[in-house]
Amino acid sequence: MIGIWGKVLINAAFVCAVLAAGGYFLYSRNDDNRYFRASNWLFGLMGAFLVIASGLLVYLILTHQFNYYYVFNYTSSDLQLKYLVAAFWGGQEGSFMLWIFFSFLIGLGLMKWTRKPYRGPVLFFLALTQVFLLSMVLGIHFGDVAIGASPFRTIAEAMPNAPFIQANPDFVPTDGKGLNDLLKSPWMVIHPPILFFGFAMMTVPYCFAMAALWKEKYNEWIHPALPWTLGANVCLLTAIFLGGYWAYVTLSFGGYWAWDPVENASLVPWLLGTAGIHTMIIQRKSSTSQKASIVFALLAYVGVVYETFLTRSGILEDASVHSFVDLGLYTQLVIFMAVMTGICLAMFAWRYKKLPSQQRESKIISREFMTFAGAMILFLLALIITLGTSSPVIGKLFTANPTPPEISFYNDWTLPLAIIAGLLTVIGQYLFWKKQSTESLAQDLLLPVALTCIVTLATIMYAEVYDLYAMIFMFSGWFAIIGNGIIMIRLIVKNPMLIGGSLSHFGFGLLLLGILASSLYNSDMLDQTTQTYNAAVERGEMTDADGVPIRQKANFIQLHLNKPELVNNKYLFTYQGYTLEDQERPGQQEYRIRVESIDGSGGLNMNPQVYPMSAAAPGGSIQWSVDPDVHSGMMSDIYLYVAGSSYVEQRNEAVKERKKRGQQAAATVPADTSDAQELVMEEGEKIDVGGFTIGVEAFNQTSTEGLPDSTMIAVRARLDVQHKASGDRQILRPLFAIYSEDGKSWSYSPPQQLQGYDVSFRFTNIDPQTGKLTLEVSGIDEKYQEEWVLVVAEEKPFISIVWLGTFVLMAGFSISIFRHWGREKRKNNN
Amino acid sequence: MKPKVIIGIIAIIGFTTLLMVNFSNSISTYTNFADAASRKSAHVVGKWDNSKAHGFSVENKQFTFFMEDEDGNVRKVIYPKPKPNNFEQAEKLVVIGNMENGVFYANDMLMKCPSKYNATGEEAQFQPAESVKS
Repeated sequence: MIGIWGKVLINAAFVCAVLAAGGYFLYSRNDDNRYFRASNWLFGLMGAFLVIASGLLVYLILTHQFNYYYVFNYTSSDLQLKYLVAAFWGGQEGSFMLWIFFSFLIGLGLMKWTRKPYRGPVLFFLALTQVFLLSMVLGIHFGDVAIGASPFRTIAEAMPNAPFIQANPDFVPTDGKGLNDLLKSPWMVIHPPILFFGFAMMTVPYCFAMAALWKEKYNEWIHPALPWTLGANVCLLTAIFLGGYWAYVTLSFGGYWAWDPVENASLVPWLLGTAGIHTMIIQRKSSTSQKASIVFALLAYVGVVYETFLTRSGILEDASVHSFVDLGLYTQLVIFMAVMTGICLAMFAWRYKKLPSQQRESKIISREFMTFAGAMILFLLALIITLGTSSPVIGKLFTANPTPPEISFYNDWTLPLAIIAGLLTVIGQYLFWKKQSTESLAQDLLLPVALTCIVTLATIMYAEVYDLYAMIFMFSGWFAIIGNGIIMIRLIVKNPMLIGGSLSHFGFGLLLLGILASSLYNSDMLDQTTQTYNAAVERGEMTDADGVPIRQKANFIQLHLNKPELVNNKYLFTYQGYTLEDQERPGQQEYRIRVESIDGSGGLNMNPQVYPMSAAAPGGSIQWSVDPDVHSGMMSDIYLYVAGSSYVEQRNEAVKERKKRGQQAAATVPADTSDAQELVMEEGEKIDVGGFTIGVEAFNQTSTEGLPDSTMIAVRARLDVQHKASGDRQILRPLFAIYSEDGKSWSYSPPQQLQGYDVSFRFTNIDPQTGKLTLEVSGIDEKYQEEWVLVVAEEKPFISIVWLGTFVLMAGFSISIFRHWGREKRKNNN
Repeated sequence: MKPKVIIGIIAIIGFTTLLMVNFSNSISTYTNFADAASRKSAHVVGKWDNSKAHGFSVENKQFTFFMEDEDGNVRKVIYPKPKPNNFEQAEKLVVIGNMENGVFYANDMLMKCPSKYNATGEEAQFQPAESVKS
């Protein structure tokens, strides 16, 4: 019932959006305020319907109504509240709803703050994007053609061919599939909303640029559009930062940036938006670059739409770790993209002749030229990254089944551009605040160049940099920091509100240095065994058992329980065991690795985790996933994860064993006694067997109640069994009984299972003379393998500089928002 | 035409050509073992051949197994990392590396793991081995 209401509401919202778009169109043409008011009401109504529909979806999720596909697919009843709420945007449909909701909020802001003549067209184009986005969640079927995928689909509608649905169309699963374990992270709660808010805000410059083309007013639109674009950029940058940090601390690729298509796709709109900000700022200062501002404003949004297409059409399925599953929206997304791009091109071509073009070309030494050059570099970066990301599409030109490009493609092309950009920021800033001739500029630049040379040389000597490329990179980074720093200090004296630009560029310089240092000095942490091994591999001396030469170096360390290993001649790593946890992710092991400096200057405890993915594979197999631990320091991070452990190995072996046993279904012998061993122990004795410590605390005669009448004597032992690595401790009470039957005595020793292990105990005998008891233990390997872990550890210096640079960039953009927004507010009030 | 425009056009064409050439060199194609021998780096798709010996060797610090590519060629694959935790469950593997003397040295391995709800016909998703850095 609720599902039907949800669908009706979304459809009603869609109709409202269509009508509102129509109304705004008429208002833009006729300038009749009645249309404006009516459309505002319709737009508001759309928002109201959407909010209620979203509320219903949240209600369905919170009340675990698993007959709804979305609820079934992304949640489960054991999910914590924060993840239940986050599951709202865990899938495609919900994240579209979130995006539409943010666009709606922004629409309300535009309604209030946008002035004529842009007001009508801006809202028209915004409503138009809403129409498209809402169409993605409609879920209407015309024969074989489906428009959108509704979040309110029932399971029967979503997968009519599933066997359990065909058997029983009203089937309601008892539990859902749950949120993907990788998404069960506090970052999931905050990262997607910020990203979608950024996407929604990126629509605004697009709307303004289209409005400018429509109304042929090419100059004024940038004033209201600039703060919105800046806002969108801060949002996207925050989202990119959170995504990078999230990946760094929870995934095992060992860094904050992997040129993954999804990461790239959020970076490209940011780069294009930033290019747009640059041209808008020139246009504001000197009424040039009108064309470029419009082009970048349009491209930034096209970039958002293109990224939506790439990540949601299933086209990247093979290329990316985390793209959405294809919902069959491919055609619809292509239409969305084609229409949006088509409208842009058509409007632009239509007005092209009338667009103001520059009368006089700017000199090279001018702020217009330099700022424009900055925008062009950002544009080129966006172009290169788009090309790489589009490899499944564009790569078809070269080869049949294109793979993603190598990482070096991105690095080789983007880093040189970043170096040029770092140098340009300073020259651009020096020209921005003062009209300069070549001579006066050269004179002004003397100080930053001299300082940069000194600092760079000092860094090269101190850090022992021998690579020329790294030196140039470093020079560019320091130059951006020092040059922009000097300008910033001068500006603070005049008016602190003016420092947005120089602060952002200062942050960019920090980011460059951080990227350089963190990638240049990223080093594997290895013990002596691995170091010796790698040296032998390098000399070509290593071969495997078959005589095949070994060519690849290893990057992991084997640690045995409580045996410290010397790592990098600097640290002692000790594996101190693990704890099994059953809270957020059932079956998760938290390993305890102690990292100490050998000079005794303190140590730290690292707790990397390994956990089974809840959506387990068929046949009871376990899919393990790792969660690294990162210790962040001012100068250097230590990043560490467990790549393998004896525990995981045992669990996998047990699964294999169980499968084998399952195949020989006939053999239903209760306990496999082949690997049983006998222990003879006395009261109070403690011995180590395998990974366990077994202690006999006591044994006493017990009542024969519940046992057969023929029982003559029953004794229960009290065993204290401790698993050494995990510290898990259990008390077992195995029974030993003697009963008589047919004049003979028989002993009865039922096996008792150790909870959570494939280990069982039987109490098989008592020697009346010595008082010693015999225990039969099965499941503990006689050839006991020590507890071990394989650890991959990396030392990552100066990651903190990358974060710091990002924060400074955000701060710079934010100051600019306040400045430009404040000016717009004053205009509105006048 | 003004000389500036001509220089500009040449620069754009030059840049684009260089970019596309470099791009085409840096992408590879999903292929088989036979073809991989002639490539510097190859992505080979296939599945684990569990009839032959496999295992992680602590001494050699590598995981070795045999993989059958989509055209039925079986080759030994060396992966210089611990055995990926989900290896046995993977129904499809992609190894990225190079071929040398009939042995494939994989620097990276992607595994396509089946999902619990395979019956629903949903697409399984690729998962990276837990150590994807080479």
